[in-house]
Amino acid sequence: MNLSRALDISAAGMSAQTTRLRVIAENLANQDSTGSTPGAAAYRRKTVSFANRLDQAAGIDLVQVARIGRDPSDFPLRYDPSHPAADARGYVRTPNVNSFVEVMDMREAERSYNANLAVMQSTRGMLERTIEFLK
Amino acid sequence: MDLSDVPLFALADRRLSWVDARQTLLAQNIANADTPHWQARDLKPFAATLAAAGVPLLRTDPAHLAPPGAAAPGIAAQVTERAPDGNGVAIDKELVKIADTDAAHELVTGLTKKYLSLVRTAIGR
Repeated sequence: MNLSRALDISAAGMSAQTTRLRVIAENLANQDSTGSTPGAAAYRRKTVSFANRLDQAAGIDLVQVARIGRDPSDFPLRYDPSHPAADARGYVRTPNVNSFVEVMDMREAERSYNANLAVMQSTRGMLERTIEFLK
Repeated sequence: MDLSDVPLFALADRRLSWVDARQTLLAQNIANADTPHWQARDLKPFAATLAAAGVPLLRTDPAHLAPPGAAAPGIAAQVTERAPDGNGVAIDKELVKIADTDAAHELVTGLTKKYLSLVRTAIGR
């Protein structure tokens, strides 16, 4: 039955968006995590990319998290000679997390999650109406 | 009596399987709304499928070639604007289609139920 497959697809979409939200939470929580030794690297922002995966048994395209990568952009420098992670010139490398970007990303994840949930509710309604035939 | 001999039930059956397949496709589109290079897909409208059905050539053996048009799954890629990562799913459009499919399903199930109750009345129950 196709409708139960549609439920599987929506569930896969929701779990992929949940992983994305988890990564965003990690980034936001670590936006001040600098190193602790002089000149040490700070927290590097994580990124998520999705890919579709063909479920061979059911013949449907599910979605999954393809890779959790790292953002290779440069660390912003902050002048703070008293900081334990300050280098010889007094600069501290701070995480390359931009909270505006993360919050926008979070909104998008939320929107996609809601869309998947809406599809799931609609599919469930269809299944219920089909079962109503029995009454 | 086989219920599928009644034209209305046969039609409802086809309509429901169309709705079923479309819901699955649309769910795939929405689940892949952030997948790079994913293109939104949709079924051809049911009216077109119905009109094209006509009287097909009979296949007496499954190994024979399918008559022209019969093998086409009726799945069409849609042309929409694309995101920089190559994704072409517009969630709002997809959700409108979901609502449309939902309404179609409700209509078919409602009509079938009504008709079933007529049958029940006719057999005196």
